[in-house]
Amino acid sequence: MSVSDATTALTEELAARDDMIVCEGVNKWFGDFQALDGITAVIKEREVVVVLGPSGSGKSTWIRCINRLEAHQEGRIVVDGVELTNDVRNIERIRSEVGMVFQQFNLFPHLTVLDNITLAPIWVRKRPRDEAEELARALLERVGIPEQAEKYPGQLSGGQQQRVAIARALAMEPRIMLFDEPTSALDPEMISEVLDVMKELARSGMTMMVVTHEMGFAREVADRVIFMEDGQIVETGTPEHFFTNPSEERTKLFLSQIL
Amino acid sequence: MTVPMGDPAAAAVDPAEAWAAEPEPAQKPEEPSLSMGEWLGRNLFSSAVNSLLTVVFSLLVLLVVRGLLNFMFSEERTWRAVKTNMRFLFTHAYPQDQYARIWVCVGAIAVLSGLSIGLLARTGAGISVKKLSINLMGTGAVIAVGILLREPSAVVDGEGMALHRDLSAAAGDSFVDWLDANAFAVLGALLLANLALAVWFNFQGTYLRAATEPRIAHGVLVLASGGVLIVQQYATGEIVRESFADAMSDRAWWWLAVAVLAGAGAALWFGLGDARRRNTFVPAMYVFFVGAGVMVLSGWVYPWGHYAFLEGEFIAEPGSTVAMTTRLPWTVMWALLVGAFMLGRMLRAARAGPKLRVPLNLLWVLTPFVLYWAVLRDPDLDWDHVLSTDIPMAVFFAVFGGLVVWYLTHPRIGEAGRITAVVLVAVAVLNWVAAYFDWYAMLQKARISFLLLAVVALLAHHFAGDRSQRMKLVAAWVGTMAVLHWMVTLVNSPSTVETPTDALIGGFGITLIVAVFTLLLAFPMGVLLALARTSNLPIFRVLATGYIEVFRGVPLITLLFFFTLIFNLFLPQNMSLVDIAGATIGFALFSAAYLAENIRGGLQAVRRGQYEASDAVGLTTVQRTLFIVLPQALRVSIPPLVGQVIATFKETSLLAVVGIFDFLRIADKVISAQSEFLGVKREGLLFVSFIYWIFAYNMSKHSQRVEKRLGVGER
Amino acid sequence: MSNTDQTTLAATQSGRPPFYRDATVVKWLAQVFTLVLVVFALFFLTTQALENLNRQGIEIRYDFLGIGLGSDLREGIDTDPDTAGRALWAGAVNTIRISLGGIVAATILGVLVGVGRLSRNWIVSRMCSVFIETIRNIPLLVQIVFIWALVATLPNVELDQGPVNGLLHLSNKGVSVPRLHIDDGFYQWLIFLGIGWLVGSLVKRRQDRRHDATGRDTYPVASFVAVLAVFGLVGWFAHPVFGWVGAIFDFIGDGFSALTPPVVQVVLSLAALAAAAWWIRRFLARRRTPAGLMKLTDDDRFRIIFAGVGALAVIAFVLVGWPGLSSWIINSGTDLLEVIADKFGDGRTGKPVDIKAPDVEQLGNFPNPGPAGLNLTQGGTAVFLGVVLYTASFIAEIVRGGILAVPKGQTEAALAVGLRRVTMLRRVILPQAFRVILPPLGNQYLNLTKNTSLAIAVGYSDFVQVGQIVYNQTGKTLEVVSLWMLFYLACSLTISVVVNFFNIRMKIVER
Repeated sequence: MSVSDATTALTEELAARDDMIVCEGVNKWFGDFQALDGITAVIKEREVVVVLGPSGSGKSTWIRCINRLEAHQEGRIVVDGVELTNDVRNIERIRSEVGMVFQQFNLFPHLTVLDNITLAPIWVRKRPRDEAEELARALLERVGIPEQAEKYPGQLSGGQQQRVAIARALAMEPRIMLFDEPTSALDPEMISEVLDVMKELARSGMTMMVVTHEMGFAREVADRVIFMEDGQIVETGTPEHFFTNPSEERTKLFLSQIL
Repeated sequence: MTVPMGDPAAAAVDPAEAWAAEPEPAQKPEEPSLSMGEWLGRNLFSSAVNSLLTVVFSLLVLLVVRGLLNFMFSEERTWRAVKTNMRFLFTHAYPQDQYARIWVCVGAIAVLSGLSIGLLARTGAGISVKKLSINLMGTGAVIAVGILLREPSAVVDGEGMALHRDLSAAAGDSFVDWLDANAFAVLGALLLANLALAVWFNFQGTYLRAATEPRIAHGVLVLASGGVLIVQQYATGEIVRESFADAMSDRAWWWLAVAVLAGAGAALWFGLGDARRRNTFVPAMYVFFVGAGVMVLSGWVYPWGHYAFLEGEFIAEPGSTVAMTTRLPWTVMWALLVGAFMLGRMLRAARAGPKLRVPLNLLWVLTPFVLYWAVLRDPDLDWDHVLSTDIPMAVFFAVFGGLVVWYLTHPRIGEAGRITAVVLVAVAVLNWVAAYFDWYAMLQKARISFLLLAVVALLAHHFAGDRSQRMKLVAAWVGTMAVLHWMVTLVNSPSTVETPTDALIGGFGITLIVAVFTLLLAFPMGVLLALARTSNLPIFRVLATGYIEVFRGVPLITLLFFFTLIFNLFLPQNMSLVDIAGATIGFALFSAAYLAENIRGGLQAVRRGQYEASDAVGLTTVQRTLFIVLPQALRVSIPPLVGQVIATFKETSLLAVVGIFDFLRIADKVISAQSEFLGVKREGLLFVSFIYWIFAYNMSKHSQRVEKRLGVGER
Repeated sequence: MSNTDQTTLAATQSGRPPFYRDATVVKWLAQVFTLVLVVFALFFLTTQALENLNRQGIEIRYDFLGIGLGSDLREGIDTDPDTAGRALWAGAVNTIRISLGGIVAATILGVLVGVGRLSRNWIVSRMCSVFIETIRNIPLLVQIVFIWALVATLPNVELDQGPVNGLLHLSNKGVSVPRLHIDDGFYQWLIFLGIGWLVGSLVKRRQDRRHDATGRDTYPVASFVAVLAVFGLVGWFAHPVFGWVGAIFDFIGDGFSALTPPVVQVVLSLAALAAAAWWIRRFLARRRTPAGLMKLTDDDRFRIIFAGVGALAVIAFVLVGWPGLSSWIINSGTDLLEVIADKFGDGRTGKPVDIKAPDVEQLGNFPNPGPAGLNLTQGGTAVFLGVVLYTASFIAEIVRGGILAVPKGQTEAALAVGLRRVTMLRRVILPQAFRVILPPLGNQYLNLTKNTSLAIAVGYSDFVQVGQIVYNQTGKTLEVVSLWMLFYLACSLTISVVVNFFNIRMKIVER
């Protein structure tokens, strides 16, 4: 079976699923710098998409637009059937559906790990505290650090902090998870512990969009790879297609630099 | 030993600092191996310039200390003016038969402080036994030097004259006269010799490498420089005392103090024997308790101060002193403080700290209101009115508001909640508009309650949650209403405690009360202003910036004049503010601008990632601000906030200028107008400075420690 | 949720949400609501005040400034002012004087103490920290009152005794020191100094360039000082040659007085419009990108509207709000030009400045410090010493913090590249320390200026105290308070402008 056959099969399989994220001609400027230039893409349920590209290519900006940390200026973004507009209710709804993990973890330093995780379920999802704590402990178990619940983020290592951040995002029971270079700020020996958690998450069927430089992760887990440059989507394809036989010159150049 | 005892610089500090002194972070104990000589060489005589500086500044210290002591203990000082007026200085004309009320207030604060410290304060490293003992002995030495240094008031046939005679006999009158006339020339010569030696030392490399003899010569010269001053003093004492006994009776107590302090210090030093145990640390809190206990106990031994003023007429009562009338209450206060502290420690051991933190803070916020309006004022309630109007109204708002809160905090309230909130806001605004146009009458507190309810309704959906969460909110509302209505009723009832001014209490009491209420008013304002100034909403930002810049740009005194003289013009005819309330508002508006700037600094220190993470997990702006941004920002701005608290405390002295009988005004204007102490000002002012200094200094030291701790814990 | 990708987009309703859920609209609603509340509160207070004043038959008018004042001031440029306005002016000058003097003295003392606290000498550093901890923890007002009481114990002034201690004159009437008297030729001498400054700057720049080109020491600062000194010296004798300068100002003054109010009004309005237009154009130009005009944020729109409304408000004020403004400008401008013309006028051949020692004169029944020296009354001494000591203790801490803030690596790096110690201090350490020190230092200057208002407690005739005298006599409390606020706001603004100017300069130096 050729690569294109595989792609076709994938496309057909995906077409049967729900759309989770739909972007249509999204444009965004910072001052006179165009960060996003006509981004059009559809991400399906349970799909794992890895976004690659040189720094400054707009990949972070794009996923930050998806939960409205940045507002796009033109085009449409629809997440799980809800369009991102100025509508407060839509923004609230999307943010509680979309979990996000940051490069710098951004844990709340004045709260314990447990409080970090239960804060949003209690105040946004309006869950009872006991229930939220139970869930939080289960999530800590899942990311492999159940014993750190009472500590403060400053007492944890980078890898542990990032896993807490993932647990915090999962505590909202999101349908989509966004990862903004989750391993870039980590020491090399801690990267794998975070990637393992992400792989497990991908296997469990979470819709994921990951900006990363971890090519191994992309090869192993991604259903689809999107390559961006200068705010545009240059190429989209399965990992095999992307890493073995990219069709665009710019992609080849990028891969030759990075591999 | 590492620190020279009775060093002159420490002598310039008030003795009180020495016993209340906490370990000075800046002054780490030197290595024990460093000998006295090495320490001197390294710190005082490392080079010629340094030696010169040392000598010049030592003399300067000596002069300053001597001047201060002579000023304080001169025969011309009428310290009796302060002692007799203690009651006036601290409470002004608060009626004497109602003093129990003041003690209740002090007691309440003692209990709360003890509990809070016991429950929440860290034990900390505290103060080492070595340092404690050195401080005690040092204070003793400083006092001893002070007694010797002060002008001896050449007593007729007494000590001073005897010395004068002895000196004259030994060296001849002409020598003493010559010394008197040429004291500064002699000092100058000694200084030059000192300098020459220092330069010579410098050529030898360092002081330490020089031969022994010149070092001894140097020491002699330094001592001689000081000695000349002392001798000159003794030789030329001018003030004559009645008798030797008179002079001694005053000094005997000081010698006793020297003996006690030095004895206690020595006992600690030698009693603990080896160096290792001397280096053990005693928690500063315990040292403070013991120190305070000694002070209180001393009231049972020594009759500190007199007091006077019965029915506005000045009657000095040397027989009954402040110490004698207050030693029982002070002992009770001390016992309360220590007892509460121990209770707090027990609760802490039972891990009750986190649970009790919120109620304790609530109590602290409520205390000033309750103490001022319910305890100090003793309101005379009109029970008919209370039963027929006040209580029903409070119950109505509690029940109605409670239901509204319960309804609006339902997790899935949605649009219905918004509509309810808007309706409530409309009603609240309508009430005030109606008041302006006289459409219908309504009690002011009903309007305020409605307004509060509207604000709560607008914010309610941010705090929605499960059953227990909603119950808590309802309870909070009911509690707020109960307190609010109770307070308003109290404020509206006339006081049975009759005082000549509308300030109820004066002196240091009013200083503290105004400072506390100022901060209570200013802090929320400051937070709101800081939030508005850093917000990205332009109108909020412009309004806040304008407010802050204007109020920081004008002197506080003009604001106080505005709020005490003119502000009543801006109020409706049937409303007016008494001076003290106006002044408090002026202080609060002024402090709020400064607090806002401090908090703004903290807000800017909160990283952008924190905002993004809160947004990403779906917190609303209000939740983000309350749960994430403010806690972090306030933590960062604790040191500048404490600085502002100190500033506000000091600024309350401006009350004196707008004619309120505060601490300063009593010392400055009231005492000096009493027939017995006509024109006696400096004593009272020095005393006032001293009390202000103790409070401000301790607060700033504490804040420096907190800052250091925060800095260490910085993540 | 629909199943196919094509229908997803169609199924979601696009377009604007209802207004109460539109983030932008909600933001603006909240802001406008708050603004309305604030405006209404101010409106309410103002109408109440006007109503209350009406009831008491009082009007808010400032004509009391021209009415005579029945009492003397203790000190200042005019101790027996004709009018309340003149008295307030004298008070303002006193405030400015004592603030400027205080700023200079507090800076010197503060820097000394701050550096002293870092001294390696144990006694010096301890003494400095004791000074700081004592002074800054006692309320300034208490200190001022205390110093006042201390000054009261100094000896009396005696007529026959003459100035005590020769040059420094200490008594219970305060302090007197020798004073520079501005004499006849001062202003023409100033012209010489100005030219000297210009020429000196040119020379300095040339020397700088030569230094850059050749690398040799060319002593730019020294040559600047030398040129200035030469011009000052020559001008001291030759200043009458500029006697004709006054005529120029006379000519300008004539032209100014020929203006009519409508002309001034039109000019002011046009200036306001032009300023607003220029600002908006510049603002939009900054937002313009190669791709065309950027989308403006709420903030940007608000600023543009604010600029426009501001200009309109100025025009309304000039044309309707205070029609007398233009004639006031014409009159006072003419007066000012006349005064200047007189100062630079012909026939001023005396010495530029003169120094006189303090003297004593009989004033009524008592001897008093005479006009020759620079006199501070008892109250003035108390305020001056009080604010200087108090502010110095804060400045010392700022200076210490600033020096400590320069990382140790900077010193090491500078020494490593072989800079001399002095050069290192001047070029590396001080610029960095100064950058940290300057902003809080500016705040301290501001505080000092405001704190001089405590003079009221000891009767020094500063702006606030004179204001109090004025409203006690005229009953014009509201007006006086408004003048207070305006005056101090102007002072604050001036100080922050000056500090900012240096701040910007320091940043350039840093580069």
